[in-house]
Amino acid sequence: MIEVKDIFKRYVTGDIDFTALKSVSLKVKKGEFTAIMGPSGSGKSTFMNILGCLDKMDGGTYFLNGKDVSNLYDNQLALIRNKEIGFVFQAFNLLPRISVLENVELPMLYAGISAKERRIRALSALDKVGLTDRVKHRPNEISGGQKQRVAIARAMVNNPAVIMADEPTGNLDTKSSIEIMKIFQKLNTEGSTILMVTHEDDIAKCAKRIVRFLDGDIVDDYPVKERTII
Amino acid sequence: MNILESFKMAISSILSNKMRSFLTMLGIIIGISSVITIVSLGNGGKNYIADQFAKMGSNTVTLSVDSSKVEQTSDYFTLDDVKQIKNRVDTAKYISPNVSEKGTARTDTKTNTANITGVNADYSLISNVEIVYGRFLNDREVEEGKSVAVIDQTSAKALFGTDDVVGKSFKLGPTASSKSATVIGVSKASSMFGGGGGGRSRSGDSTPALVTVPVTFLQTLYPIDFNISTLSITSTSQANTIQTGDDALKIVQTKHDNKTLDLYKAANSASMLESINQVLGIFTTFLSAVAAISLLVGGIGVMNIMLVSVTERTKEIGIRKAIGATTNAILFQFLTESVILSLIGGLIGMAIGLISAQIIGSFASIVPSVSILVVLEVILFSSAVGIFFGIYPAKKAAKLNPIDALRYE
Repeated sequence: MIEVKDIFKRYVTGDIDFTALKSVSLKVKKGEFTAIMGPSGSGKSTFMNILGCLDKMDGGTYFLNGKDVSNLYDNQLALIRNKEIGFVFQAFNLLPRISVLENVELPMLYAGISAKERRIRALSALDKVGLTDRVKHRPNEISGGQKQRVAIARAMVNNPAVIMADEPTGNLDTKSSIEIMKIFQKLNTEGSTILMVTHEDDIAKCAKRIVRFLDGDIVDDYPVKERTII
Repeated sequence: MNILESFKMAISSILSNKMRSFLTMLGIIIGISSVITIVSLGNGGKNYIADQFAKMGSNTVTLSVDSSKVEQTSDYFTLDDVKQIKNRVDTAKYISPNVSEKGTARTDTKTNTANITGVNADYSLISNVEIVYGRFLNDREVEEGKSVAVIDQTSAKALFGTDDVVGKSFKLGPTASSKSATVIGVSKASSMFGGGGGGRSRSGDSTPALVTVPVTFLQTLYPIDFNISTLSITSTSQANTIQTGDDALKIVQTKHDNKTLDLYKAANSASMLESINQVLGIFTTFLSAVAAISLLVGGIGVMNIMLVSVTERTKEIGIRKAIGATTNAILFQFLTESVILSLIGGLIGMAIGLISAQIIGSFASIVPSVSILVVLEVILFSSAVGIFFGIYPAKKAAKLNPIDALRYE
C-alpha cells in the first residue's frame, strides 16, 4: 500500500540548515492501523505531510498503491490527494463559511462527481460518523469533536486508499478523543488503511502498530500488545 | 468542477463578504456610469443638433461676409446680389438675405428687447418657418418695404398676452426711433435658429422678442448701420448644394471685385453639421478618456481587493488544495470571483449611468441615446477588467504550496 525508501527532507532558512528527515524507510500494508509517535521535532509530522502529498521530499522514493508518486507535477499530486488520500488535521481545517454537508461534498466537487451523487455520498459518510442531525450547521456552530468527525467524513468520502491523520485528537478533550478513535477503529475494521500521528500513548494503543520517530529517523517499529478496543 | 459550480461558489463567496464586495465594485461602478453618462449625453447632443439641421434643410448654403476683413461698406452684400444670384444660378431655388439687429418691441402695455431679423419672402421656405396664425411675408411687402412683421408665439404671448395677434400693431426698432409695424403672422416657437425654445423658458420676460420683418423695412429702421452679412440659399437638390454655393460665391466675388481676399465664405449645412459633430466627438472622446481613467483605477481596486482576499484566504486555499483542488481549479475560482464582481459592478454602473444621463438630459433638454453596442462594450470591458486584474492574484493563490498555505495564520 505505502512503500517509502530513504526519504530525506531538510529545511534551509537563511543560515540554518535543518535536516527534518534523514533517511526514512517504511512499508504499510493494506488494512493496517499504524500510529506514528515521537517527541516534537522528531520529524513525524513532516513525514506525514510528505506521505499526504502536501509537502515535497528532497530525496527518496514513495510508492502509493503501487504508483510512484515521488516526482509528480502539482496537478497530478492534487489528483492523488483527492482520490487516494484522505487527510485529517489536528486543527480540523473545515471551510468556515459553508455548511457541514458542503464541506464533506467538497472533495467530490473537485473529483467531478454529480451534485446528486455528492449529496447521497456525503450524507452516508456523515451517517457513518454519527452526524446526520448537524448537516446544515456551519462548522463554528458545532463542537470540536463534531468538527473532527466532519473532517473524517470528508477524508473518507472519496473512498481513499489510505486515511492519514495528523494528531487528530490533539485539540480534543478525552471524551471526544475516544469517540474519534472509535470511528477510526470502526473504519479500520471495515477495511480502511489508517496512518495516524500522535504523541499520546493512550491514543497510540488504539492502533495495531506503533512506529517511533526520533531526530528524523525511525527508531522503533512494533505491533501493539494489549490493544485498546473501544 | 464545472462552470456552474464555480459560479455558485463565487457568488456565495461574494455574498459572504458584502461590504468588501461592494467597495471593490465601487470603482467599476463609478467608472462605467460616467462613461455611459458621457457617451449617451454626447450622442444625444449629436442627435439633437442633427435634428435641428434636418429641420433647416440639408440643401441649405449660407454665404457670409468675414466681418474682420471688411474694408468698406460696399463689401457687404446688397439686395441686388440677391437678385443676381437668383437670376444667374439655376440651382439656387430660394435665396434670402438674413440681417439681424437688436432693438425693442413695444406695445401699449409692454416693452421688450427684440431680435429683429430682416429677410425676404423666400426665407420661410429656406428655414421651414411654421406659421400658426396669419401668413409669412410676401414679395410685394418686401419690395415695398412695408411695415409688417411675423413674430413667434412665445414673443406674442409676452408682448400681447395672447398668441393670436394677427392685425395688431406695435412699435419696433431702435429704442430712440421705433416705427409702428403690423403683425401679419405668428410662427411656431421651436426652431433653434428661429426661436430657441429651450433657452426661452429659463428667463421669461427678459428674453428678446423674435421678430421677422421685410429686409427693406429693417433698412428703414436702421438706416445707418444696416449691412447684409449673410445670405441663405436653398439649392434645388442636395447633390448640387456645394456647386450652388460656389456659383453664388463667384458672382458676389466678381460683383464686389474681391477675388483675392477670402472675404466671402459659403457654408452648407452638411459641412457645418460635420464640423460641429467633429468638435462634439472630440469633446466626448476626451471626457470618455477621463472616465476611462477612473475605470482603470476601479480595475486596480479590484486587483487590490483580490490580493487582500488571496492573503486573507490563504488557509482556505490550503484546505482546498489539501483535499484535491488543482491549481487550475483555484485559479478559476478566483478568476470567476473577480469577473463576477466586475460584471455586477459594470451592470450597476450602467444602470446608474443611464439614470443620471436621463436626469442631466432633462435639465439640458437633450434626449440621451444609448446604442446596444455601447452596452455590449461596457459588459465586455468590465469583464475584461475583471479578468485582467484578477489574473495576478488568482495565479498567486493557485501557486501556493498546500502545506505552506495551511500553515499560514
